[in-house]
Amino acid sequence: MRTLGPGSVSSFLKIILDVTWFVLWVVIGALALAALAALLLSFNTELISKIELETDIGDRRLLGPALASALLAGALYMGGVLLIVGNLRLIFKTLTAGDPFHPDNVGRLRLVGLILAGLELGRWAFWGVAALLLPKVDQDGGGLNLTTWFSVMVVFVLAEVFREGARLRQEAELTI
Amino acid sequence: MAILVRLDRVLLERRMSLTELADRVGVTIANLSILKTGKARAIRFSTLDALCRELGCQPGEIISFEPGPVDFADEDEVEYGGA
Repeated sequence: MRTLGPGSVSSFLKIILDVTWFVLWVVIGALALAALAALLLSFNTELISKIELETDIGDRRLLGPALASALLAGALYMGGVLLIVGNLRLIFKTLTAGDPFHPDNVGRLRLVGLILAGLELGRWAFWGVAALLLPKVDQDGGGLNLTTWFSVMVVFVLAEVFREGARLRQEAELTI
Repeated sequence: MAILVRLDRVLLERRMSLTELADRVGVTIANLSILKTGKARAIRFSTLDALCRELGCQPGEIISFEPGPVDFADEDEVEYGGA
């Protein structure tokens, strides 16, 4: 199986990354617009009381701000994912250029690991705040996700592997 | 590093330019310049073989060891950016 070029695994992954990149932009745009709409609607309590929405929120006045906050948090989460995909695309660019152990990839991988950890911490913060402000709402999904933390560890290990790769690359460059 | 490259001296003795040597051994002038200025991290046996053949000398005439403080500071010179 080819490693680079048309029909290779990397070209297939590149297509997935490119599609994900553009889909994420669309999703973030939609979430930001929806958050803005929810925020504007929250100023009109009469209008919002007419909206039929299945929710556990008792006080209808809280529906607008809660919805806007949730949508904004969703947009921020997707923004983090977008940054991860953006960095992966940059890493892939070095791979297709035949230079995967470029020193910049170490920083990119570390950033991906930090964003993954940040997203998980943000998710906890979101569910914590939601539990405090809206105690009646079902608080599913705020628990410890071992898969995410394992992924963070894997990314940091890969970053160290790339650091050594970058060092060897430089050594090879200065081998005459 | 305590390893010294004396390529410039050998070239002077042979009255050969770096460009001519680069043509003969098939190594770029840029790489030979790195070697000559002592910036190289390592040298391949194949390169050393070609240099000795074209210069008509022994490896010891090109490289020598002079005891002194070992400086490994340049080993951590790689900058890991990209963030």
